[in-house]
Amino acid sequence: MPERFAVLPCNGLDKAVGPLARETALIVVEDCEGSLICPVLYQNTPARYEKPLAESPLIVIDGCGTRCASRIAATHGLRIARKLTVAEALREAGVAPGQSLRPGPEMLEVCRRLAGQLLTEGPSAPEPPPPVADFSGPVEYATVRHDKFVFRVPVRSGYYFNENDCWARVAGGRARVGISDFRQQQLGDLTFCDLPRIGATVEQFGELGSVESVKAVSDILSPFSGRVVAANEQVAEAPETINEDPYEAGWVAELELSDFAGEVDLLLDGEGYLEVVKRKAAEYRP
Amino acid sequence: MGVPRERISWAPTIDYATCDFCMECDKFCPHQVFARQDGDPKLVVAHPTNCVVFCRACAKACPLDAISFPDKQEVITRIKQLREEAANDA
Repeated sequence: MPERFAVLPCNGLDKAVGPLARETALIVVEDCEGSLICPVLYQNTPARYEKPLAESPLIVIDGCGTRCASRIAATHGLRIARKLTVAEALREAGVAPGQSLRPGPEMLEVCRRLAGQLLTEGPSAPEPPPPVADFSGPVEYATVRHDKFVFRVPVRSGYYFNENDCWARVAGGRARVGISDFRQQQLGDLTFCDLPRIGATVEQFGELGSVESVKAVSDILSPFSGRVVAANEQVAEAPETINEDPYEAGWVAELELSDFAGEVDLLLDGEGYLEVVKRKAAEYRP
Repeated sequence: MGVPRERISWAPTIDYATCDFCMECDKFCPHQVFARQDGDPKLVVAHPTNCVVFCRACAKACPLDAISFPDKQEVITRIKQLREEAANDA
């Protein structure tokens, strides 16, 4: 018997992926003998679901990119253990959701598969490899001020940036990757961090997980290509670590780099990114 | 990227057969890539060079999956070509 979960799905009514989110939620709840959190009733009467939410880890299932269920969870400060966006999962699997608001047998089969994946998803790390790169050295910061906001940027400390506000700190053929101080402030309090799988390979500017706040989901675009050798479980458990210390404790993944020399030309160093942040800060509206 | 932004062909394309002008993409994008003409409900990609190269956030925010982007690898290859050309010219 899998672990029992509380499941907060999309309300699932007016777009084709909605009913698929709803069906997937029903299957998950049946299979793990968990609890269903009705998003509408929860909005009106949160006390109704206090018990299951206190007792069980939470799965959030969104239908489309509007992510109503995630937003409800964020608004109520719920900690999300696992999550799924049906539209994205279908895209990755190359399955078209169609137009129908009533899923047929084929789509129900897809829901069953998605539910199975959610329930069997385990800790991603097999055995962490021994660290060969040292990321503990001191970091020198420069700051950009705009009104009452202060944005930090590491300089002369081996950090590289892309214009998507993601950084890579390079040491010994490896790099730790995370999001910049500007990006974390723009997103606000983070509620979820989706880590990449250890062993996965990523292209330069490819997606290396995502972070999520009440305002938005933000992809982490990897400054370098490489293989994921470590993921920071601390930020998955406590995403606020990224808000508090985006450049050091808030790293997301560690890569074994595959083509540093060929890729570094397309990136900015600390001083270069500082200029980007100055431009962005001038237009910054929280 | 070391290449003028105007020469990098990274911007969203709206599939008007699918788009229902819900404006989720416009609400999301902080760079004013999208705009509506006065009095016209139709949303257009008004400022493509404002789009942050390799950002696909609006496509992910689109409930109907009506936004697409160019192939990332092709764009990277093209940027590298342009950089080489610029280096050779210098």
